[in-house]
Amino acid sequence: MAIRYTDRVYALGLAARWLHLASSVLLVGAAAMIVIAGRSDRATALHWERRVLASAWGWALAALASGLVVIGAQTALFEGRAGAAFEPRAIERVLLETQAGHVWLVRAGFLAILAAFLSLRVSVERRADWRAARGEAVLLGVAALLPLAAAGHAAAVEPDTARAIASDGLHVLAAGIWVGGLLPLALLLKTAATEAGADARPYAVLAARRFSRAALVMIVLLAATGTVLAIIHVGSVAGLVGTSYGRLLLSKLALLALALAFAALNRSVLLGRLGGDGPTVGRPAMRRLSSFVVVEAILALAILIIVAAMNVTPPARHEPPVWPFTIRLSFAALEGRADEATRALIGSQIAVVGLVALITGLAMRAWRLPLAAVALAALGAGVGLALPPLTIDAYPTTYLRPSVPYQAGAIAAGAVLYQTNCAGCHGPRGAGDGPDGRGLPRPPADLRAPHTAQHTAGDLFWWISHGIPESGMPGFVSRLGEEQCWELINYLRALSAGYAARGMGPTIERDRRWLVAPDFTFSVGPTPPHALKDYRGRNVLVVLYALPGARARMSQLAQREGTLAMLGVEVIAVPINADPDAIRRLGPDPRVMFPVVTEGAETIVAAYRLFAVAPHVELLVDRQGYVRAITRGTGEATDIDALVAQIQQLNAEKIAAEAAPEEHVH
Amino acid sequence: MRAWKAVLLIDLALIIGVGWGYAFWGLREGRLERELAEARAAAASGIERQWRVEGVVRAIFPELGVIVLTHGEIPGYMPAMTMGFRVASPKIHEAVSVGDAVRFTLQGVLPNVAVTTIEKIK
Repeated sequence: MAIRYTDRVYALGLAARWLHLASSVLLVGAAAMIVIAGRSDRATALHWERRVLASAWGWALAALASGLVVIGAQTALFEGRAGAAFEPRAIERVLLETQAGHVWLVRAGFLAILAAFLSLRVSVERRADWRAARGEAVLLGVAALLPLAAAGHAAAVEPDTARAIASDGLHVLAAGIWVGGLLPLALLLKTAATEAGADARPYAVLAARRFSRAALVMIVLLAATGTVLAIIHVGSVAGLVGTSYGRLLLSKLALLALALAFAALNRSVLLGRLGGDGPTVGRPAMRRLSSFVVVEAILALAILIIVAAMNVTPPARHEPPVWPFTIRLSFAALEGRADEATRALIGSQIAVVGLVALITGLAMRAWRLPLAAVALAALGAGVGLALPPLTIDAYPTTYLRPSVPYQAGAIAAGAVLYQTNCAGCHGPRGAGDGPDGRGLPRPPADLRAPHTAQHTAGDLFWWISHGIPESGMPGFVSRLGEEQCWELINYLRALSAGYAARGMGPTIERDRRWLVAPDFTFSVGPTPPHALKDYRGRNVLVVLYALPGARARMSQLAQREGTLAMLGVEVIAVPINADPDAIRRLGPDPRVMFPVVTEGAETIVAAYRLFAVAPHVELLVDRQGYVRAITRGTGEATDIDALVAQIQQLNAEKIAAEAAPEEHVH
Repeated sequence: MRAWKAVLLIDLALIIGVGWGYAFWGLREGRLERELAEARAAAASGIERQWRVEGVVRAIFPELGVIVLTHGEIPGYMPAMTMGFRVASPKIHEAVSVGDAVRFTLQGVLPNVAVTTIEKIK
């Protein structure tokens, strides 16, 4: 079977990364295990200590050697060609000019110092000397391990880079102490279980107990930092099940569960039987614990293979998720269906009762089995009752994020696509009343309906590209490219939002933000373009005007611009009949100082007319980018104090900490 | 030598090494920043500068000798905005009217700059 060259390079890089990670981790664990076990003057214990130190020295050299391969692979990756891995100049550039290179240099330095330190023959007869020497080994090992966090995915997290790096550092450190301590422990137990090692048996029992306690703390730390990192790098269920990074994490968790099952068995059953002597306690238990600990260590090292793969896989947050199921769960399914909501509520209550009963059953001694059976039945029934109403059909693209942002330009382009491809069946205004839709198995959907909120942009993407066979809707994947599909979806979003905006009037509703103002770019004369988004943090009055009808209102706005500016309002005037000479047409008196759009007006008008149609429209956009009030008129001068009152109300609102409108996708 | 003394020496060497490296790095960065600030100050003070900028005439105040322009970025002076500029002579603003797209020359020693030439574009 032919293996492609890149696959081989990838496999080699992965193996090197794994060896590097494993040896760095084992090194810290070996050094830490000696400190955890404590000092002993028994001959067998001293022999064990020497062997563990020798292994730590070996791991340090292995980490240095595999680190060389890793930096070579990194260089090949940065330079984009495999040959660069063998060019000293290229490697030098990576080492001196990239953060990964700096981290590598620091770590290699600590590893070299540690290796040199471990090969020193120093006397540790006295307690202070022993503590200093063994502590120094742990310190140097940790110093060599921790900077790994600053060269991984965590270093690329924005914002809160420091938090991500700190979590990652603690995560590797805890893994090091847990995973790295297992092999030395197994060795100690195995030696102590032999006839010749009998003198170290009390020491081995003590060491196993101490390690067990330390490992428990480390596993709690691993779980906590792991959760933080999963939220940072994966962030959603779709990312977990729908991307390669997420699936690697899932397989890591499965292996971890297995390893923890062994750990729990070791701790709860075998640890208590180490003392004494007999057929099941003492030496036989020690031997068995030793082999079980080896199994735990092998599982943990297998987990590190997955970790190495995750290090070279882009985090789920940056990948488009492919949803693997045909359904998903969402509370949006309950909207407007009161009976289903009741059912879900009752089901969830039964499930909670079942869960409480299950916990009680596990805690009690008497009645444990029957109680657990009843509890499980209640839990199953509750879940079975609650979940079906919450299910919504889902598609592979359901959680795909739009690759075209919600902008006036995309909406305008989508409007054109709609009229040529969709209006025939869905009707010119999206009401589902097109002439071609009459003979179809199911009437075409009314695209203005609020039910679009139940569907993600990714659902729409699937329907548009693949069609809905049972309803007679064809797929457009061959006619429209991906970008055009997203433009169309942006238009549908604006259409549906605009339909809902019919009820929005000139007075704002306090703290109710729902109508996202699509971003747009515009130019004033030959100056470089600006975007609506640049005004985030100030209120914006978008004025769609037409001369001569709106001359009175425009003069009024021009005269009162100072008042509006003082209240934190920027006026952007958009001529409905796009005109490169719009500024001249407004004339020199009164002086108009706010931006008058001379380029980009067509798309702004095409998008914003979906929200309001009138000879003169003013949309008040708040500091967070939501349309809050719409005034429809003919352009006569009106009471400016009414507008001022609305703005003062907007300014009195607290800015909510919710996501910026672009990130809010439906 | 006792092991704890050796460890102490190693740790001291590490602390001094890392500290020295960090200080060296910090000092170099400080020096670079200072040089940059000096270069900026030299560029800004006392020297007559000149820019060619595009914009739109928004208003003219003949009695003040001021012309209001919506203009693009003026590198090293100000970002794109709408504001008034002094004109060097009345002849300058007489050549243009509100709404004209223009290219103009801004000249002077900061902050005393004035529009010295202006012409319509397109």
